[in-house]
Amino acid sequence: MTGITLAVPSKGRLEELTREWFAANGLTITRPGGARSYLGAIEGLPEVTVRFFPASEIARELIRGTIDFGVTGRDLIHETSESGPASVSIAKPLGFGQADVVVAVPDAWIDVTHMHDLADVASDFRSRHGRWLRIATKYITITRQHFAKAGIAEYRTVESLGATEAAPASGVADIVVDITTTGSTLAANGLRVLEDGVMLQSEACLIVSRTAKLSPKRRSQLDAVLARLGTTAGF
Amino acid sequence: MTGAALRRANLESLVEAQGATRATPPLLLSADPYFDLAGEEFGRRLLLTSDASGREYCLRPDFTLPIVEAYIADGVGEPAAFSYMGPIFRQRDTGAAEFDQAGIELLAQPDGDVALDQVLTFARAACSIFGIAPDIRLGGVGLFEALLVQADMPDAWRPRIRNRFGHTEALDRLLTRLEAAPDAARQQQPSRKALVEDVTEQMVAAGLSLSEGRTPDEIADRYLEQQALDAAHVPPATLKLLRDYLAISGPVLQALTQVEALAARHKLMLGAPIRAIRRHLNGLGECRVSFDASFSPRLDYYTGIVFEMTGPKGEVLASGGQYDRLLERLGATAPIAASGCSVWVDRLEAEVAP
Repeated sequence: MTGITLAVPSKGRLEELTREWFAANGLTITRPGGARSYLGAIEGLPEVTVRFFPASEIARELIRGTIDFGVTGRDLIHETSESGPASVSIAKPLGFGQADVVVAVPDAWIDVTHMHDLADVASDFRSRHGRWLRIATKYITITRQHFAKAGIAEYRTVESLGATEAAPASGVADIVVDITTTGSTLAANGLRVLEDGVMLQSEACLIVSRTAKLSPKRRSQLDAVLARLGTTAGF
Repeated sequence: MTGAALRRANLESLVEAQGATRATPPLLLSADPYFDLAGEEFGRRLLLTSDASGREYCLRPDFTLPIVEAYIADGVGEPAAFSYMGPIFRQRDTGAAEFDQAGIELLAQPDGDVALDQVLTFARAACSIFGIAPDIRLGGVGLFEALLVQADMPDAWRPRIRNRFGHTEALDRLLTRLEAAPDAARQQQPSRKALVEDVTEQMVAAGLSLSEGRTPDEIADRYLEQQALDAAHVPPATLKLLRDYLAISGPVLQALTQVEALAARHKLMLGAPIRAIRRHLNGLGECRVSFDASFSPRLDYYTGIVFEMTGPKGEVLASGGQYDRLLERLGATAPIAASGCSVWVDRLEAEVAP
């Protein structure tokens, strides 16, 4: 294989902002086939192939090493695999796409303000209600890691791929782990973020795969592009 | 026979020689009981699959649960002994997801001490087949529970502390929180009735069921209890006792003497659980035995004594102990004595690999 592969979010605001950021740094990403094409280029850099992917697939492929560098959220790197953060290097936070992965409980749970309250509630939930405390989330890996650190083992996750904030009201789960920028969606659904409930602060980042196999030539091509973007691979 | 094959055969004979029923649970098991028993922490290690109806299955991640479930289904009560050896499947950071475990389960035995001795003897014999005299680390779940019951503190704190036993950081955080200076005087508390009404209103407004999950009564009660707890602090002397106790770790005789001294100083009756540990020491012969007061598996069905055996490479080769609350958790109507252990066959084999 010759040349290097850059993965860019394939649609929406994230795609726009990513292309604007590259443009601001003097590199123009082109997408000749328009929004339905998944292949692009950078003007003046023929050695770089641009691929347009959904952000979660970019995280997965960076971790696997099938693409060399790309733009995706820090949350997706942590969520895709426990070994995710070790498999990549964050070359540069890009200053957009900021959001926090948080633990939120119903407002009515006036006795639960911190993770240690949740630990108490979880520990005897089963004996009171005959089932485990249920947490709706799409962030199963992050939830498991964070709850293990907080010493909470007595819960079950319920995978939720959309409208997680509605899970307590619909009876699917008791609490949620969700991503939020302002907290307003959570608040509108009667949910409150715990005072120490921010598990991860995420934003869009330029990320380099540590697992991609790079020949010295391709490595120098990568380093040259990163240098033009004002950063290095970091390893 | 090569050395490796001979050791395998010897281990196989050891498993067969336990006077126990050889258990061979299916490889494909329903995943739910594992999540129910051990929670998400263990759940993330499972290799999962599902059928067309969406029912979740896992590849057998251990032998204990299917053995004990089958025992309960047969009608509990009679003493029973099971031994096993075969592949289990867990996702691990290093090493293959499929590996062999061997072990024994002794259920409803008339004498729990004798049963634990047999378990320890089995684990040591398994190590010795591979030429290893393991280091043995003992933990006292029964000892800690006895100390906790007698220590001077508001009752509501006991389960909170017990729940964190075995998780060093979480327990440390709780003790640190308790050691922090008392808050300023609390303002007047709302009445329970007003709280329940307020919580009910909030739940209804948010569309939450008042009966499916936490109820307004439960929330109000815990809120008031929490307020009361913030006021009712654990005495500093008790916190010091817990810190001193949890820090005890070292050669077993020395460590137990320290526990005895601590008990004498705080006028605690810990004789029975300490003697229970001492009784097993003679049988452990030449092995280096240590006692670690803070050591416990993070599963609340363990009781009595727990242990871990490690080899020269520092890997845990065998672990087990007493878990009298396990059968109850799985549906038995009363606690039933249980003890057992599992040995990691792949790690034992790695110890002798050239």
